[in-house]
Amino acid sequence: MGRVLQEAVAAPYRNLVTRPTGAAVRIRIEAALAVSNCLTALLDFSEIELVDLSCADEVVAKLLLTPQTAYFLVLQGLREDHHEAIEHVLTHHRLAIAAVPPGCMVPRLLGWVQDDAREAFTHISETGPLDVSGLARALGWTASRSREALGDLTLHRLVRPMGELYYPLQTA
Amino acid sequence: MTRVIEVPTHFDDRSFDTFAAGFGEWPPEEKVLVDARGTQWASPYGLIGILTAGQALAEAKREKPLLTVPTSDEVKRYWARAGFFSQAAELFELHGKVPRPGATGPSDVLLDVTPVRASEDVHGVVHKISEGASRILHGELGLEMKATLRFSMALSEACQNIVEHAGTSGWVAVQAYTFRRRLGRRVVVIAVSDAGVGFRRSLESTHAKRFGERWGDGAALEAALIQGVSRFRDPGRGQGLAFIKRFLDQWEGKISIRSGTARLSIVPPWDEDIPLSDHLPSFPGAQVQIIIPAQDPKSR
Repeated sequence: MGRVLQEAVAAPYRNLVTRPTGAAVRIRIEAALAVSNCLTALLDFSEIELVDLSCADEVVAKLLLTPQTAYFLVLQGLREDHHEAIEHVLTHHRLAIAAVPPGCMVPRLLGWVQDDAREAFTHISETGPLDVSGLARALGWTASRSREALGDLTLHRLVRPMGELYYPLQTA
Repeated sequence: MTRVIEVPTHFDDRSFDTFAAGFGEWPPEEKVLVDARGTQWASPYGLIGILTAGQALAEAKREKPLLTVPTSDEVKRYWARAGFFSQAAELFELHGKVPRPGATGPSDVLLDVTPVRASEDVHGVVHKISEGASRILHGELGLEMKATLRFSMALSEACQNIVEHAGTSGWVAVQAYTFRRRLGRRVVVIAVSDAGVGFRRSLESTHAKRFGERWGDGAALEAALIQGVSRFRDPGRGQGLAFIKRFLDQWEGKISIRSGTARLSIVPPWDEDIPLSDHLPSFPGAQVQIIIPAQDPKSR
């Protein structure tokens, strides 16, 4: 993200601020994804100093709002204040994204999903792929509750459904 | 004929209305002389308010106004250090000896009076503030480290309001000083001002109907600051002021916005301001002030 930012603003800044900057960064990311075969895009914020709300909205929220995207998005290298800005805008839009905390492989959720979907996300991220009945058994839920939670996660592109199984997003 | 507008002796957000009243109807027909000879102190809000008046007169194609500089050498040095005169020279015909800026050593000016014309300027402002902000906010005011980044975020969002909504350029200044009378503690003050269309005109086409007869400068400020509305239909807009308000709550900070003939403030317990003041003397554009106080030593 640091490199994309510096290309977008043509200056050595490390602050992801302002809407025009956010839009320029998002367009570059979309262009890179359009020619990539990868299923999951990992956006690395470790070289970014500051993310303001306008940029969080223009980059993260708008990437998630892009209709019919073929890829999954995961954030990494976020600091606490990055979390705060991104969480704020995603909650505003009722969106969510997976973010990998520094030094950790298991992602956490940023933004807004139903409580059950959040619990299902954590469980699948920690234990690996499950089907509806497997999740229901593991969490002591009914099958319909489990199906609904997994449906929510699929809608938010927070798990990869393949056949009967729901896979955690790749984070490395 | 010349209209003389006296700058208050102690020029801040409280005395701003006296200054605004001096102009009468905007834009005044006569040549304007802004007389700061007797001014003993000006907050960043006051300084960029003077520049805003100068800019509004220039945009109204009025004759270049005159500005007589403060008589006090100390006040002049302070204004020079804050970068005021270098900006004012473009808008006013300056009368009186002006000291050279930067010749007086370190100060509590965190950000000189800086023009904001485009989003690139916001990058410059955020970049420039980062080091000094940490020293003052964490070192002097006792705020947690992450407050520095929130502060920069607030600054960025406040400056972007000019670029996105004003329809013209504006100024920002950031300074630390002691609020002796009101609070008895150190504060950091962000002041942002523009000579643009103001909140009412910015929001009118999309929100006036909903307010009916209540629509005016005060209602427009309420819509923006309390309800988080924006003139853009994009649902992601309007979050900046809401976020600023939320973290100012945590720090017992204050935000006040003056636009047209109204001023709306989120008033912390230490202040006795009126939340909404209406029917004030008209002034162009919008003026925002954010005050972040030192944390109470007992709670550190």
